[in-house]
Amino acid sequence: MKDKKTLGQAMQTQVKRRSVLKAGAAGVAGGMLLPGTARVALADDKKPLGAWPAGADGDSVFVGLTVDLTGPYSAQGAEQKNGYELAAEQINAGAPQVQKISPLIKKGILGKKLVLGSADAETKPNTGVQAATRFIHDNKAMMIAGSTSSAVAIALQKVCNREHTPYFTAISGSNETTGVDCQRYGFRLCYFAYMACKAIAPVVAKELGKNRKAAYLTPDYTYGHTTTQSMKEFTEKEGWKTVTNQVHPLGAKDYSSYLINIANTDADVLVVVAYGADAANAIKQAKQFGLLDKMKIVIPYMSAYLEKEVGADVMQGVYAAQGFWWTMEDHNPVAKDFVEAYEKKFGGKPRDSAMYAYLALVLWADAVERAKSFYPIDVVKALEAGELRDSPVGKVTFRAEDHQGIVDFPILRGKKPADMKNPEDFFEIVQVVSGKEVLPPLGLLGCKMGDYV
Amino acid sequence: MNSAQSTTATAGTGTATRRPAAHNTGGAMRRQLPEMLVGAGLLVAPFILPALGMSPDLLTRILIWGLFGLGFDLLFGYTGLLSFGQAAFYGTGGFVTAYLLTDGVVPNMLLALVIGTVAAAVMGLIIGYLTLRRTGIYFAMSTLAFGEMFYFMENSVFKDYTGGENGIAGVPPPELSLGFINIHISSGWPMYWFVAVLFFLGYLVARRIVRSPFGAVLKAIQGNPKRAMALGHSIQSYKLIVFVVAAAYGGLAGGLLGLFQSYMPPDAFALDTSAQLVIQTVMGGAGTLLGPLLGATIWLYLYEGLQQVGSLGPYWKLILGIVFVVLVTVFRHGVAGALISLFRRRRQLPADVDDGASTRVAGSLDIVPPLATTRPGAPVLEARGVSKHYGGLKANSDIDFTLREGELHGVIGPNGAGKSTFFAMLAGELPTTTGKVFFRGQEITGIGVTSVCQLGMSKSYQINQLFEHLTVRQNVMIPVLARLRGRYRADLLSNLHSEHLDAQVNAAIALVDLSHHADTQVSEMSYGEKRRLEIGLALATGANVLLFDEPLAGLGPEERVLVVSLLKSIRQGRSMVIVEHDMDAMFELAERITVLYEGRKLTEGTPDEIRRDPSVQAAYLGGMDDESA
Amino acid sequence: MPSMSLFLSQLFNGLATGLLLALISTGLTIIYGTLGVINFAHGALFVVGGYAGYTVYGLTDSFVLAVAGGSAVALACGLVMERGLMRKYYSRPPEDQILVTFGISIILVEIVRGLYGGVSLSVTPPEWGQGIARLGTLIYPLYRLETLGIAAATLLLLYFVLYRTSLGLIVRAGIEDAQMVNALGINVKRTFLLVFGIGAMAAGFAGVINSPIVALTPDMGFRYLVESFVVVVIGGVGSFPGAIIGGIIAGEILSLTAMINPQYSDVMLFIAMALVLIFRPQGLMGQEGRE
Repeated sequence: MKDKKTLGQAMQTQVKRRSVLKAGAAGVAGGMLLPGTARVALADDKKPLGAWPAGADGDSVFVGLTVDLTGPYSAQGAEQKNGYELAAEQINAGAPQVQKISPLIKKGILGKKLVLGSADAETKPNTGVQAATRFIHDNKAMMIAGSTSSAVAIALQKVCNREHTPYFTAISGSNETTGVDCQRYGFRLCYFAYMACKAIAPVVAKELGKNRKAAYLTPDYTYGHTTTQSMKEFTEKEGWKTVTNQVHPLGAKDYSSYLINIANTDADVLVVVAYGADAANAIKQAKQFGLLDKMKIVIPYMSAYLEKEVGADVMQGVYAAQGFWWTMEDHNPVAKDFVEAYEKKFGGKPRDSAMYAYLALVLWADAVERAKSFYPIDVVKALEAGELRDSPVGKVTFRAEDHQGIVDFPILRGKKPADMKNPEDFFEIVQVVSGKEVLPPLGLLGCKMGDYV
Repeated sequence: MNSAQSTTATAGTGTATRRPAAHNTGGAMRRQLPEMLVGAGLLVAPFILPALGMSPDLLTRILIWGLFGLGFDLLFGYTGLLSFGQAAFYGTGGFVTAYLLTDGVVPNMLLALVIGTVAAAVMGLIIGYLTLRRTGIYFAMSTLAFGEMFYFMENSVFKDYTGGENGIAGVPPPELSLGFINIHISSGWPMYWFVAVLFFLGYLVARRIVRSPFGAVLKAIQGNPKRAMALGHSIQSYKLIVFVVAAAYGGLAGGLLGLFQSYMPPDAFALDTSAQLVIQTVMGGAGTLLGPLLGATIWLYLYEGLQQVGSLGPYWKLILGIVFVVLVTVFRHGVAGALISLFRRRRQLPADVDDGASTRVAGSLDIVPPLATTRPGAPVLEARGVSKHYGGLKANSDIDFTLREGELHGVIGPNGAGKSTFFAMLAGELPTTTGKVFFRGQEITGIGVTSVCQLGMSKSYQINQLFEHLTVRQNVMIPVLARLRGRYRADLLSNLHSEHLDAQVNAAIALVDLSHHADTQVSEMSYGEKRRLEIGLALATGANVLLFDEPLAGLGPEERVLVVSLLKSIRQGRSMVIVEHDMDAMFELAERITVLYEGRKLTEGTPDEIRRDPSVQAAYLGGMDDESA
Repeated sequence: MPSMSLFLSQLFNGLATGLLLALISTGLTIIYGTLGVINFAHGALFVVGGYAGYTVYGLTDSFVLAVAGGSAVALACGLVMERGLMRKYYSRPPEDQILVTFGISIILVEIVRGLYGGVSLSVTPPEWGQGIARLGTLIYPLYRLETLGIAAATLLLLYFVLYRTSLGLIVRAGIEDAQMVNALGINVKRTFLLVFGIGAMAAGFAGVINSPIVALTPDMGFRYLVESFVVVVIGGVGSFPGAIIGGIIAGEILSLTAMINPQYSDVMLFIAMALVLIFRPQGLMGQEGRE
């Protein structure tokens, strides 16, 4: 039984090695990457947290981006990446555009160069988590950002919370992100389903009338159900009736049977809850089924590029909420700067994905400057301080209690193709909604913020 | 060659003197080499791989995929069952474990892991039972469909438990409570060690399975499922068990995934997960156990590496796809397979030497004892009024046939006389349309080849039905295992070799004069040698009734002589039926001959009677032209 | 409870969807039925056809040319695949064939993504397909109604090619016994190339036909591959009439379940497939013993 003995010995060695490693704690892993760095920051009574202080020691500071480069939201992912890159470029240059948002920003952040690393999250929570942990553990990232799907966003902010590293969603529409799943280290700048529904309901009630009968197309997942629930609540307050709710599988391609069911009712408004390509298919097919002749479409939470996907012809008269529309530049110099810089660098008009990405990175840099430290707790506290900053969508800040961005956003209506001044001129802005007024009351969505450590 | 031939009625009474066990220390060392290498690799990895940019997280993740892959490799690499639905088990195990821990139903981490693993295994039992009814592409497609079904259910029916698209976050960090001490396993290296220990245990178990009698049968099923069945193994049971084992590995890996990242992702259930597992296993090398681990390393390393190369980020999958296609096309056994064969070539090692096998040769090859009621001259195998119709075509009509104890009975007939159909019905391969077949008084009509073999009757095929990718020894072992273990036994963790087994295998190999080729892979042997092995397989079942379907087909004159004398030499204690075209050989061998013609029995008699029978001559003259086949 | 008119509408919709599904799965059936290869790149070829059609449509403004262009590109892909790789795989186990076609599908999809990006692309129906048709109480898109005809005509044409020409004779002989065709000394290599090409072309053709209904995304192929599997397993793998019947059954399941409880329409599809595999593993129209 010699082999057993060998195995036993192996196990013993393994245990020994483990204790050696434990003793060396950060030594083996951390020390290998940053040999001989002095841990000065430990002096003022701050214990290491997340990748801090290792990540804030050098001449540069790393930010990890989890963007969807493949998978169903690869278009949004690519746009977000652009937004982050633009922000990083301006921050590192101390550009005047970025100083309009945060006057504190000089070249870099606290004098350190901002370095971005990106990874494809594939619209899969697991891949996103894998990328984020790698950024934090290996690259010593001081901040993680990027998402399009709420599933990915929620997974990421939980992991980043465990790692005590600030995380910023880019797009996340689900009520849970700053509701039941809110996290001390997670921040959502963008508007989301509840806000969108609360904002769009009075607008469409005013525009379309109070006695409308609505049919819903709801994708069968948590986001779909909660959004439909919010939308029903707010439209019914305005006097609308809900006639039918067609629940379809996530990623459905053919909506014919649902549309026939809807055609069989007397509904005169179609509320499309689906996101991305699903929404494009649903709307296109609704048009083909002649539903749009008698029905108006309302999209409480619209994905970027939907207008391009279905075309202006179908989009005309559609009411939708979105985080940003480029014509906001007409009334806002910060938006003008942003759109111009984006167009110059990448070509094409930015959508809300790019805007949120850009803004989140700048706001984080601003918070670090205000905290005068990368120490995660200080940064989070600075973000919670409620400092109002200018942005392409007006004054923004975060609500301390649930880390939801207090951010204005536009309600759009699709233009007739004939009225379009240029190929990107799809929408007119019906109203810019004040984010503050449509925020959910505190505690409604069940946020219980955790501790700092 | 036939010197050792004698008959013993009871199994296990070999006469040769017991020699000291062949399990010497050096052999044992060499046999445990992979285990030791893997153990050592897991130990040194943390000290070497970080220099290559591999973090503890990445290594842990690779190990989780590797553990998932161990089960899949048993299923695909060893048994040949390509499943595209393994995500179902990965997800089931993961979500059950995560749910139990997060909701505090089962606070003990190890217990929750075990429950998750068992849940996955139970799912494996159900899905396996349904999907294993078919093989090949049907199996691949139906497992894929079931995997998709689970994915949809996770998102709808079970979303209250699984969190739908948000998964289960906040899985408590693992804590080992050993009663007297609680070890908190934090992320980073401690987590690596925790997963590495479980992976190593999983690897040890998988290695044992591969090297158990059960594992030997799995390899046979991969090589030639029909022959494995005909040699007395109930392959359906083996497939089901290995499917369940693979599911359990998936469940354990899924559970670890949730623990590792304190989050159980819904995409664990996605088709992409199954596909990624398949790709990793194939890239790394199926049938090597470590292939999946290697494949996961390539995939994850490539994924992370390409992300960092400027603009290549979005194209990582394209590059991976190209690498995959090239690997599938060029290296049929992946990177691990290529490394192993390179190593063997360098060391000039033969393909697959079984160090554990004893060299002792049994004094005799055991024969399944006939039922006690039989007496010499009694009917052993009887067909009564057997017919087989295919639609309007009558292949066999109303054939009566009797084989008596100890007799060598020939069946002849011109082409198209229905010999093969008749033979297949005798052997239990084909159900009859009407009529019955009896074996020692027991009806065996259409009961299936496996049962027939277990009763003590075996058939040697006209076209060789061998396990081409195995050695002669491994081939012969399959029927011997069926005789010693019955149609099915779940001895997954037992030792393959026993003195008795090896001695019996060696005896059978000696009987067909292939001892010098014992460790040669069958695909490298000549046709004549394969022919003898074909007969050897039937003999090794220990059958007391043997059916030979054209044993001389395709043989040269010298080989013919060899086989004829072999057939003569094995007569004692066995009754035989031979179908043969070679008249001379038949008249030389057979005691009685039955002549079939146009699906009916034309006549029956001694060789002399048949030779003189004018109706036989007429039948043969009529069909003489196509006698060349 | 659904009204009678709704039921009839859904029944009709099921038929239309079903025929489209049958058309989509045809390429898979042709290649499997003849070459015994399950083409996991079928969905990817469908996508390639759709995108190529989109480009041609944009350039020429002619939907007919788009269909031709999309089919041609898919055909070319199929020919290259066969020449470059598949030929080496006919003698290898089915598992290897699944793996290599699966690998090719990844490559094709990622190339499409690289060329066109991830935004979904819409194709407007051709002029003759715009508008709606009124069938009693049912309002049905004209284009879908026409695809019903296109699918039926194409299936009929393929039936004609497969059953009434000498190529068809070889192909069908191949379905019965590929080795025998080999033995007859017919230029099997070229026939196989041709058949693989036709199968790929059928996938591409379906991709273009489907594109005005469902927006194009690079990732859409896998879903259609899975649906095609369901169709051919229900109908019988390799059986041409089986693919049609399987398609119609799948269409009716989707449509009628959606009428009663839309949440379960996908799960029902897989349950139906499981039932067929359990009770009639060779499929409704398949022959026993073909694996």
